[in-house]
Amino acid sequence: MAEPAMQLIGLKKQIGSKLIVKGLDFDIRPGEVFGFLGPNGAGKTTTIRMMVGLIRISEGDVRIQGKSIKSDFKGAIGHVGAIVENPELYGFMSGYKNLLVFSRMIPGITRDRIDEVVKLVGLEKTINQKVKRYSLGMRQRLGIAQALLHRPSILILDEPTNGLDPSGIREIRHYIRKLAEEENVAVIVSSHLLSEMELMCDRIGILKNGELISIQEVHSTDGDVPEEMVKIDCAAAQIETAKQLLQEQFGIAAVDNNDQLLFPISRDQMPPIIKALAVADIEMYGVAVERKTLEDKFLHVIGENVIE
Amino acid sequence: MSSNFFQLVRNEQTKLYSQVATWIMLGILVVVVLGFALIVRTADGFVTNYDDATWKQDLQQENQDLAEYDATGTQILINNYRIENDLKPEGTTAWDFLYQSNFMTSVLSLLTIIVAGGIIANEFRWGTIKLLLIRPASRTKIFFAKYTSVLLFALTALIVLFIFSWLFGMLFFGLGGDGVMLQVKDGEVVETSVWVRIAQDYGLQLVKLVVWATFAFMISAALRNGALAIGTAIFLMFVGSSVVPFISDKAFGKYVLFSNLDLTQFTTGYKLIEDLTLTFSVVTIIVYYLIFLVIGWILFTKRDVAGH
Repeated sequence: MAEPAMQLIGLKKQIGSKLIVKGLDFDIRPGEVFGFLGPNGAGKTTTIRMMVGLIRISEGDVRIQGKSIKSDFKGAIGHVGAIVENPELYGFMSGYKNLLVFSRMIPGITRDRIDEVVKLVGLEKTINQKVKRYSLGMRQRLGIAQALLHRPSILILDEPTNGLDPSGIREIRHYIRKLAEEENVAVIVSSHLLSEMELMCDRIGILKNGELISIQEVHSTDGDVPEEMVKIDCAAAQIETAKQLLQEQFGIAAVDNNDQLLFPISRDQMPPIIKALAVADIEMYGVAVERKTLEDKFLHVIGENVIE
Repeated sequence: MSSNFFQLVRNEQTKLYSQVATWIMLGILVVVVLGFALIVRTADGFVTNYDDATWKQDLQQENQDLAEYDATGTQILINNYRIENDLKPEGTTAWDFLYQSNFMTSVLSLLTIIVAGGIIANEFRWGTIKLLLIRPASRTKIFFAKYTSVLLFALTALIVLFIFSWLFGMLFFGLGGDGVMLQVKDGEVVETSVWVRIAQDYGLQLVKLVVWATFAFMISAALRNGALAIGTAIFLMFVGSSVVPFISDKAFGKYVLFSNLDLTQFTTGYKLIEDLTLTFSVVTIIVYYLIFLVIGWILFTKRDVAGH
């Protein structure tokens, strides 16, 4: 396996006598989108701030491309682009001037690169306007643009879809996937919104009270676990017939729920079932597959009522 | 490395001059100079034109009037010197006006304190500090780039003050005179070039400016509160020297910054505390100055940048 893009080694943060982050150990792989999930106050932001050197590490270390953020700050941070919390930029300057100022802080960023990044986030038309006139979505995009200027191999986005409208959220999600897949950038995203994370992440680490309690793969590749819930909508009169057929031919105990048959099944078993039902002249109005949601998994892992 | 520092200073200047407030401040400075020129031009007594034949009698009359209330008697000494050496007063010229404008360095100090107090605290207020500190530039470098930028602003404002004082001086009083000024030093009247006096008096005022600007910068860096930084620095600058009479007989009195900061006491010979020497005062000021800078630097580089 490839070198990890980022390693957290026994990372701890203590403020006063209170341990806020209680020893995190995990790796972020290149080209993956890693979700950092947890309720507010779980230590997400503190951890992210330690990753970028804004907060001193009490114990342990963060290694970025093998370089310690503690002992080789410049070497490590050069690989990172980030938005910490809100995309706050200089409101009194144009978007372009903001990028220009940040580009001067890292050697080797050309004007062409600035133009390229502006195009990537789709701000060509408004880049010369003052940032204070930007909408939140435009600021978010400019924030991503400043984070991408120096072609980082790790992109850290704290609550990237916060305050965006649905189309904005979809757009950001699209960028993030594209960066990970096409440019092999490791993206670390934090959020307290499960559904959000599920759509864009490859793996999700769940943080609770400063501890990593679980890391979940979002798209499980192992097909033997019946993960999907199939919902078949068919004529009311035929429900019983269909149920019987499923029981006899496939040994599936389906549940009748308002003229819908519900049963768990693995993906590769579905075509023969549908075929059998059709051959038996069951009138089906719809077949839907629902993946067991992350929410179910997480609530199971964390316990009830802790995720907002 | 050094080019990196240069870029950081350049960035600070870009940010400073992108703010309307900076231009308003420089505008205020020009307006104040213009106002002062108008007052000097119109006020009685400021521009006395002496008649070639009777100027000696005029000065003697002036001396008799002055003797009643001018306790220090510097003007009397100067008038006597003029009579003895046959030096007719020229009235105010552009050079005199430029020299007299040195009291406006207190306006300059005010503006510099505002810039110094805001330059770090504002980044925290705007939230941009999080973007600034996650670049491959050490906090120490950023700290000194900002400090350099404050001093550059003071220098720029000083140049503005000079240019406009000279310009309005030319306009209202005309060039003229031989550029020789009379000054009382240790009870003796000495002739000095106006340039020497300008360099000397502006220079001594600038010492104050730099010290208070550094103080404001320290508070800004340490407490991240611009209003507090500006408020305390201005308060101490204006009120501090009035404390001196109350502490002048105390043993610790001469170690207090205020007792030493007014270096003009050594050019006029009227010392605030009898056993002060120029060397002692200069050393004391430097010690305070370095303490301000070091406290600001330590707190800026060591303190966590945590959330609000």
